[in-house]
Amino acid sequence: MSAGYEILEHTADVGIRARGGSLAEALEAAARGLAELLGAAREGPGERRVLHLSAADPGALAVDLLNELLFLHETEGAGFGDVRVRRAGPADADVEVELVPLPGEQEGVGVKAATYHQLAVEERPDGSVELRVFLDV
Amino acid sequence: MEPRKVEPFVWEVPVGAVPGMRVPGIVYASDALIRKAIDDRAIEQVANVATLPGIVGASYAMPDIHWGYGFPIGGVAATDPEGDGVISPGGVGFDIACGVRLIRTELEWEREVRPRIGPLVQALGRHIPRGVGTKGRMRLSRGEAEKVLLEGVRFPLSRGVGTERDAEFCEDRGVLDDALPGQVSDRAIQRGAPQLGSLGAGNHFLEVQVVEEIFHDRAANAMGLFVGQVCVMLHTGSRGMGHQVCTDHVKVMDRLMPDLGIEVPDRQLACVPLAHEAAQRYLGAMRAAANFARANRHVLTDGVREAFGDAFGRAPRELGVEVVYDVAHNLAKLEPYEVDGRRRVLCVHRKGATRAFGPGHPELPDAYRPIGQPVLIPGSMGTASYVLVGTETSAARAFASTCHGAGRAMSRTRAKKLKTGHQVREELEARGITLAAAHWGLLAEEAPYAYKDVSEVVDVCEGAGLSRKVARLRPVGVVKG
Repeated sequence: MSAGYEILEHTADVGIRARGGSLAEALEAAARGLAELLGAAREGPGERRVLHLSAADPGALAVDLLNELLFLHETEGAGFGDVRVRRAGPADADVEVELVPLPGEQEGVGVKAATYHQLAVEERPDGSVELRVFLDV
Repeated sequence: MEPRKVEPFVWEVPVGAVPGMRVPGIVYASDALIRKAIDDRAIEQVANVATLPGIVGASYAMPDIHWGYGFPIGGVAATDPEGDGVISPGGVGFDIACGVRLIRTELEWEREVRPRIGPLVQALGRHIPRGVGTKGRMRLSRGEAEKVLLEGVRFPLSRGVGTERDAEFCEDRGVLDDALPGQVSDRAIQRGAPQLGSLGAGNHFLEVQVVEEIFHDRAANAMGLFVGQVCVMLHTGSRGMGHQVCTDHVKVMDRLMPDLGIEVPDRQLACVPLAHEAAQRYLGAMRAAANFARANRHVLTDGVREAFGDAFGRAPRELGVEVVYDVAHNLAKLEPYEVDGRRRVLCVHRKGATRAFGPGHPELPDAYRPIGQPVLIPGSMGTASYVLVGTETSAARAFASTCHGAGRAMSRTRAKKLKTGHQVREELEARGITLAAAHWGLLAEEAPYAYKDVSEVVDVCEGAGLSRKVARLRPVGVVKG
């Protein structure tokens, strides 16, 4: 998990296991995992946009973040450069996303949504956080 | 978790297999298919669905069952609105009203189409937008998108796209009543509005097929099918519109559940009682997205007609390009059933399962009422597809439900490790199948070896009395997203 995430196999779909020294870092790693799956990981510079997320708990926050990125990818043809979580509480976060336009059709996996299926957030004694989110593809 | 065989093709998951089960699980499968479902842990998901409040009868699973997210793919659950029954958007899925449309022609494969298959597949490739992020044949303003959500296929018909006959042979005649476009978010409209008339990616496809064998003459005649005939099968859904509707409403229900005192074994089973206003909002939005899905396949049919016209240099109506039927396999519907000697209107969730009304059902088009509802079962890419019909026993077996396809047997990652997209392409072409794909690299994800044997799946459906075989079709051309 050198990039902070790994792609999980699922019969019909795929998942992301992301890890970081904090919830913020784990969310950033999950975002990188999604960008890789979409074939949308790009180098900046790009337009910076701040997302304000609000959810029931840290797991739902991760689902929300990935769904926000999917929305931007689909409606704006956006690829993703730097994704930086500026602030993350247990139920809300501010995330700065660097949007890099993608030319033409995409070659990555078509992801419909991030799901709550087997959603897991594990906070370790050392403060590190591991997230698991499955995606519908 | 080991289900118990209770009769040929029927396996029971007893109450207690997971805590909180209210009814047993019933899985329709052969010995080989049940083993795959156990290994896949999909049986556990059948048991999880059995914990939903107000579930009636059993948590059913079709022979193409595989592990899904929350609900198993191939899962059927009916809930009773009068008995605190719930609606769960996860029991419909993100691709609301994803489904299959079969289009027939009057063309014969050997004599008329075989010599022109290359140009035909190329023409289909030009007329059928596909792939991730592609725009559709009709790009809608916000106002037009809202009309599609309310009117389904009536909107493209009002713009001169398609025919009244196309609507007649679509489930619900192409429009679900009681759609509530106002419950569809701006985001869903933003995603879906540019996509009407597009195939999408993943397991969505268009195939040129040849009718290879007829099993049920009377039903085949009613559908205008004959051996050697060329047909087109389309598999797609509500695109970003449906994906966002599900995303929005699962989030709402996930937050409501603690206050409602509902606990589920998997958060993607998020649900609220049907009497709750959030349920009514979801049902209205789901129906609106279903209307979008029907309109999507309707608009794509226009592309199929244009492609045949281009490839054969004749007007599509001269080629007899007509809809056989169009039916969804991801939907929840309120349907009346006789349960415990009483007629009850139940909310039937079908997630990767197809409605299969038996003969005489009032909702069927006149031409199909004597034979039962056509059920369209795509196989994996490059293998056979089937046309089935609902039977007299369908309603009693699993709330008039049957399978929806071959069912995945292998993850996409594993499928890609076994062969490259180019290898899969070469193998299919060596078998005489002409291909057009948006991206060859993704072809291996949908390779035939990643799926179960569709023939075994439909044989179980017939053996268990869920549906009956009418015809088998084999692919000769594949257009993939």
